Amino acid sequence: MSRPHQYIMLVTSLPHLGKMFTRKEVPISEFRLKQRLSMLRPDHLRLLRELVEVTAWAGVARYSLDSEVLRRAREVIGDLKDYPDLQHLVGARMETRTVIAALRRRRDGQETAGDIENWGFGRWCGRIANHWSDPGLGLGNFMPWVAEAHRLMQSGNHIAMERLSLTQIFRQLDHYGMLHEFDFEAVAIYVLRWVIVERWSRYSEDAARERLQLLVTAALGGPNAPGGPSELDGMAADEPPPGQGLFADASSALQETLS
Amino acid sequence: MNEFIVVLGWFGLYAPVAFGAIGSSWGCTLAGSAAIGAMLDSDGGYGRFVGVSLMPSSQVIYGIVIMFSLQRSSIDAANGAALFAIGVLSGATMLLTGIRQGEVLASAINASKAKPEIFGISLAPAAVLEGFSVFALVFALVLAGSIPA
Repeated sequence: MSRPHQYIMLVTSLPHLGKMFTRKEVPISEFRLKQRLSMLRPDHLRLLRELVEVTAWAGVARYSLDSEVLRRAREVIGDLKDYPDLQHLVGARMETRTVIAALRRRRDGQETAGDIENWGFGRWCGRIANHWSDPGLGLGNFMPWVAEAHRLMQSGNHIAMERLSLTQIFRQLDHYGMLHEFDFEAVAIYVLRWVIVERWSRYSEDAARERLQLLVTAALGGPNAPGGPSELDGMAADEPPPGQGLFADASSALQETLS
Repeated sequence: MNEFIVVLGWFGLYAPVAFGAIGSSWGCTLAGSAAIGAMLDSDGGYGRFVGVSLMPSSQVIYGIVIMFSLQRSSIDAANGAALFAIGVLSGATMLLTGIRQGEVLASAINASKAKPEIFGISLAPAAVLEGFSVFALVFALVLAGSIPA
């Protein structure tokens, strides 16, 4: 699908997702969404899969090393050369992950950023390394939410942390979504938002607490245990295997903070 | 030279219809695609989506009216250049307003699907574009009256 009117038809056939945290269920099922996305050209569908894989939690969960996640992200950014806004979106997503990974490492007692080039991505790595002891990692002027994330992580309020993280990701998507209405980027941003809404809709407080306990237990094995998670994203034993579906899972600060 | 001006005159005479038809078909395609997509996601109100998607069809009608107003018993060196200028410029206006109207209608359909209460007001930009087409039509008719027969 390449002609503008076909994108218009596809975009208008997708229901409005609404504001974050306001819906208890997704307005369109995964089955229906995949059905509508079959209007996409095969190469666009492949790019969309790659984009979802590298931004969704389950997609990167298959990698046990942070360096593999970073390599995959760079590959996907290269593949998206014709879509600079999607490249920026992947970059921003990886930078957010880097910040959360840094907060987690610091919470776990790491005294310096260490070899941040092997687990961090983007323009803030040097600043994070230089301001390791600052609650906001020296990013207070650029990302005011980092200090709040630090406070939530220290207090162990993982659900609020998840909410904060998803809100930031949603804002990134809203920012780039404003620039596109009826094109491939608009469809890709819709799908990324759908992934987050779908993930949040599956949460319930009780289930989250139960899951939290499972993850804490799993995390006691340590992040570098065989088959364990990468620092950048984490991995939980009860997650569905990656690649099971097009939109297997969204990013999860909850898992990120716990692994 | 005179033959060339006569050719330009004939070009200008038919330009409003041709450009208007292209603008209308393009605009209706864009707005119609949005209407079809919206119908996939709606349980009702199909008629209003299809109805507004036909709004850009007015450009070709205006083009036909302009063509009749420009029509002369003979096209020659005295009126060829004027027919060309008025016909091509009014036709270009119909072409662009038709396409842009289709785009804003697609946006209006998409937005009003999420928020049905804005359906009416979301058509305002398309109505303004329609107004610009009418300006081009009216003043083409006014100027056509001063072209020698």
